[in-house]
Amino acid sequence: MAIRRYHYARDVDEALSLLLAYEGRGALLAGGVDLARGPGTDVEGLIDITAAGLGGISRDAKKGLVIGATVTLEEIRTSREARDYLGGFLTEVMRHVATLPLRCMATLGGAVVSAHPWADIPTALIALGAEVAWRNEEREERAPLEELYRRPFRAIFRRAVLTEVRLPAWGGAFAFEKVSRNAGDIALLNCACGLGVKDGKVAWARVAVGATPYRAARLTGVEELLVGESPSAELLAEAGRKAAAEAKVGDDLRASAEWRRAVIPALVRRALERAAREVKGDA
Amino acid sequence: MMKVYFELNGEQKYVEIKPGERLLDLLRRLGMKSVKEGCRTGECGSCTVLLDGRPVRSCLTFAAKAKGHRITTLEGLGSPEDLHPLQEAFLETGAIQCGFCTPGMILVAYHLLSHNPDPTPEEVREAISGNLCRCTGYAKIVDAVLLAAERKRKGDWR
Repeated sequence: MAIRRYHYARDVDEALSLLLAYEGRGALLAGGVDLARGPGTDVEGLIDITAAGLGGISRDAKKGLVIGATVTLEEIRTSREARDYLGGFLTEVMRHVATLPLRCMATLGGAVVSAHPWADIPTALIALGAEVAWRNEEREERAPLEELYRRPFRAIFRRAVLTEVRLPAWGGAFAFEKVSRNAGDIALLNCACGLGVKDGKVAWARVAVGATPYRAARLTGVEELLVGESPSAELLAEAGRKAAAEAKVGDDLRASAEWRRAVIPALVRRALERAAREVKGDA
Repeated sequence: MMKVYFELNGEQKYVEIKPGERLLDLLRRLGMKSVKEGCRTGECGSCTVLLDGRPVRSCLTFAAKAKGHRITTLEGLGSPEDLHPLQEAFLETGAIQCGFCTPGMILVAYHLLSHNPDPTPEEVREAISGNLCRCTGYAKIVDAVLLAAERKRKGDWR
């Protein structure tokens, strides 16, 4: 790494103009965790956006949650806004991510566009239907995170600044499950599931699985299986089995495709069971 | 090179750094030898320091991020002549063997007790879960933090 300059951007305009001026040899940082672990050898300029006005967590008019790109994972975990959103679902997710000192450094923006798109936070955000906003040299853009990950997002963010993540309000409950070698480690598999129930039947379902080892993705076939049915133990078990059939799984150095296919049913069933208990208010 | 000002253990510093320098290297250059280099990948916790009171990995923190902030290392809590109550508790319970992880352990414990003066053993284990110790087996470290917490509740603290 041959870093020649470190800039402190005062706002998004300044961050963006510096990033563009470096023509691919500059990197934005807030926590800086990924960059410090191993930046590209071509990075010459670091642009610190911690004071660029991208902090803050708030509820929007529709009771959704708006989180600035430079909010740390620990700020989210300990915030009242996150505790009040969906019964503290995000608080629970953040507790599963890394360890306290790393959560005090790493930011939501970094988790979305710098870290792994199969990690715990992307899986949870995709289940929640998160929308992300960013600024490029022409305009402000927005897209569902799920859609952004289908595009060459790393190339997009070499010329853009992620500004915020918006989470919609949901009338139901979500639960997160993860398997990893130890509590602070990255996932061998993760999943986030949400359910809304009306008149004893599933009104909507959200099922996302990550670390398969591919990017987190929703399993719409599983969601369709659940909607309109009573959330019985049998149905949730069947949803778990269907998830294993629908998810694209593969081998990597951490786990085999076979292992992942064997574990997905239990993981998805557990998350759905917890969400179902919470919806009924007997969690 | 660039210059940054920050507060280190209560003292104002104005120092020259390289733009890509890590906080770990800067602090050791400034004589803070309690800050240990273990893995340099953020895994082991032996380089932990407090930035504005919150624990961070100094090996993964660019030194430039210290600008305008307050950094606390173990040297800022106590000295061999005047040990901090947490250091005394670690000594008394036998929570120290080689000592390499001890500064990081004490700083995350200090952060925990700053927010929660009456933690459960489980809460102590969770607080130190990002810090590796290869000697003690952790049980005595948990005992030490619980002893320090008890003393803090009785007013023996600073």
